[in-house]
Amino acid sequence: MNETEIAKLERLLEKVQRPARYTGGEMNAVRKDWKQVKCTFGFCFADTYEIGMSHLGMKILYYLINQRQDALCERVFMPDADMADLMRLEGVPLFSLESRAALNHFDIVGFTLQYEMSYTNILEMLDLGRIPLFGKDRGESDPIVVAGGPCAFNPEPLAPFIDAFMIGDGEDVMHELIDVIRDGRAQGLPRLDILRNLARLEGVYVPALYTVEYNKDGTLRSFSPNDPAAPAVVRKRVVKDLSAAVYPESIPVPYTEIVHDRMVLEIMRGCTRGCRFCQAGMLYRPVRERSMQRLLYLADQLQQSTGYEEMSLSSLSAGDYTCLPQLITALMARYMDKRVGVSLPSMRIDNIVKDSLIASQQVKKSGLTIAPEAGTQRLRDVINKGVTEEDLKRSVTDAFECGWSSVKLYFMMGLPTETDEDLAGIGHLAKTVVDCYYALPKEKRSKNGVKVTVSASVFVPKPFTPFQWAAQDPIPLVHEKQEKLRQYLKLKNVHFNWHESELSMLEACVSRGDRRIGEVIYRAWKRGCRLDSWYEHFQFDQWMAAFQDCHLDPAFYAHRERPYDELLPWQFVDAGVSMAYLRRENEKALRTETTRDCRHGCNGCGLQGWGVCSFVENPPLKDQPERSALLAD
Amino acid sequence: MKMIVVFEKAPRLRHIGHLDLMRAMQRALRRSGLPLRYSQGFNPHILLNFAAPLSVGMPGKREIMEVPIEGEMSGEAFMEQLSKALPPDLPCLSARPVEDAHPAPMALLTAALYEARFDTAPPDLEKTVRDYLLQPEIPAIRKTKSGEKPCDLKPMIHLLRCEGDALIMALALSEKATCKPDLLLSSLFDFAKCERPRALVTRLQLLGEKDGVLSPLESL
Ligand code: SF4
Repeated sequence: MNETEIAKLERLLEKVQRPARYTGGEMNAVRKDWKQVKCTFGFCFADTYEIGMSHLGMKILYYLINQRQDALCERVFMPDADMADLMRLEGVPLFSLESRAALNHFDIVGFTLQYEMSYTNILEMLDLGRIPLFGKDRGESDPIVVAGGPCAFNPEPLAPFIDAFMIGDGEDVMHELIDVIRDGRAQGLPRLDILRNLARLEGVYVPALYTVEYNKDGTLRSFSPNDPAAPAVVRKRVVKDLSAAVYPESIPVPYTEIVHDRMVLEIMRGCTRGCRFCQAGMLYRPVRERSMQRLLYLADQLQQSTGYEEMSLSSLSAGDYTCLPQLITALMARYMDKRVGVSLPSMRIDNIVKDSLIASQQVKKSGLTIAPEAGTQRLRDVINKGVTEEDLKRSVTDAFECGWSSVKLYFMMGLPTETDEDLAGIGHLAKTVVDCYYALPKEKRSKNGVKVTVSASVFVPKPFTPFQWAAQDPIPLVHEKQEKLRQYLKLKNVHFNWHESELSMLEACVSRGDRRIGEVIYRAWKRGCRLDSWYEHFQFDQWMAAFQDCHLDPAFYAHRERPYDELLPWQFVDAGVSMAYLRRENEKALRTETTRDCRHGCNGCGLQGWGVCSFVENPPLKDQPERSALLAD
Repeated sequence: MKMIVVFEKAPRLRHIGHLDLMRAMQRALRRSGLPLRYSQGFNPHILLNFAAPLSVGMPGKREIMEVPIEGEMSGEAFMEQLSKALPPDLPCLSARPVEDAHPAPMALLTAALYEARFDTAPPDLEKTVRDYLLQPEIPAIRKTKSGEKPCDLKPMIHLLRCEGDALIMALALSEKATCKPDLLLSSLFDFAKCERPRALVTRLQLLGEKDGVLSPLESL
């Protein structure tokens, strides 16, 4: 920004809510001299500072890029509505926190895509950052706009706005991407040629180089490259060895409170459990563990560089980490006298050992969160969530004995094959948890009394899951079910939270959307939609009007069951899991058959030939008889 | 012993609230590896006292905190070690060891020196200030927790003068009497019957009394 703009910004900051989130200057924020580097990367998070700063992926890539001598990375967050309006009014561009550079001054602008309902924020940020929204309108001096993260696995809804997508593990491809853009710029290559060079990298998708055709009924007819540089199939990138991969040894420490204000150790990536609704579980395959030696080293570095008083272990299924009890014990021993708490984010109830519960209680007693996801064993078998009522009882009883008194239970409603009985089952489980508390003798349980919070989200079918073909419940049906659930949960000590069904419906449209959804997002943004995931800003009617503007029907995307032979918008992406595997899993689900955890024997998900999965050779484990293993295959 | 530490809260951080600043200092101290002292109790935290919270939006040139430590240490060594753990906009300027029995900075505080820098300096500021101070009494309404109270600002103004485009003021700041710069500026421009211009107010120095003279708090 120039001096006038900075002076204006200083005045704006006196008028907005929570100005501290726009000021930067945190400990460990990296400030480099722009003249000393060859490539500048504006790392954008399409939500507010408090949310973005809690995100691990951003920290990893921020650290990774700033380690390079020839590049710098600065952070850019979505301003809140009051700030965005004032910036537009006063002519202040969207800027980075580190050097307050306008977004359009960066060579590369990169978004991490964590949630579909943040897509209007991307348009808002590009617009505030003075970058043409549509890729086709960008000129030679505009930044190259890239995106990655889990939602990039179906990039099509954002295809009009993003020049290149990175699919898969960001650490693996980022350096190559920066090299190509740095060299392209240095050689003065035209934009299109730089994009072509990007398309030649494995795991990079450049939407402008592909042509899409539709059938009369609105389904996809064809999807193919229109340029020799573009591959027909884009294969995701995979970090093979997590212990050797870059991981931040220091991270910016915010002044203001953010959602997760602590250091995070990613102990493992991927999950072998194969829950059929879970997109992350499919996308992040195979399982890769970070070695304990590396984790302890990183923990020391992070503790010294941040001064944080809390550390959490992160992974999709932390309890599956091979040496979890040893790791927790080692961390506790190290940090007891430094007064650092260690907490597990979400605990799988079926394998976390009581010892480590007790251990982690000595330092930090965070809330106990359990996700049975469905109310009956039948439906849990359908979704392959290997958790039984007995597991649940045992875990909460253990937890209550260790002093916990509040439990959060997560469920989904609207799962395939769901009936009234499954909803009633949610009420039953909530009551069971309360009963477990009162079953303990008074002196063995906490004096605070028990509190059970039940959250029921609306099931959103996601790409690359066995349920990717499924229909989502229409809104009136969701409302009906929510009402029933409310009746079932009118219980003492039980609180019920539910989710906006309208938001979930839009999420279903966008997450399985095609390129035309990009136009809907644009129209919705034009109509004033932004910060959609914030209740106070969500404008469902404007979204519906945007669909109408584009002559598209949300039901076509959300509520329609798709046949297996339909060409799916994300089918050109090779995410490792094969369509055949997903289909097999879907059919087993409909037959209420479970599939074993593939640590106990490979299930042939499609990654076998990639040379990245360490479990592929595993013979089925005999000594761990699992109910699911007995039923499977 | 304990350290009397002087630090700056640079303009970039002026919107950071007091609680956030305290947490940032706690974390900086934890990073520093200094021999700190902790509170007793279930949730022990680092012992640390600020002389006076800064209002949100105000930078501070020489802010003061008191940090109890274990054992003996020179001020220079303390400062060197702490400096490595502080972000660039929160530098440590000095540290002085004192005995535990030394009164807390908060207890010695009586006033603070401020600078108000105007975007565009109001005309005749010098004359306005002169006339303003000639009043025998300067009545104002002070907003306190228990409601609005009429008061006389005059005894709370130790110093008020123009320096170029800026206004320098030394105002009472203690348990007994406090005049915030904001109140003074409102009162001054009400008196001048003109609109109050936008100003960036910086706290330059915390002050205490030594032999009846206002002196830098850290030297007491
Ligand atoms: S290849 Fe086999 S073992 Fe590896 S993730 Fe896929 S199913 Fe599991």
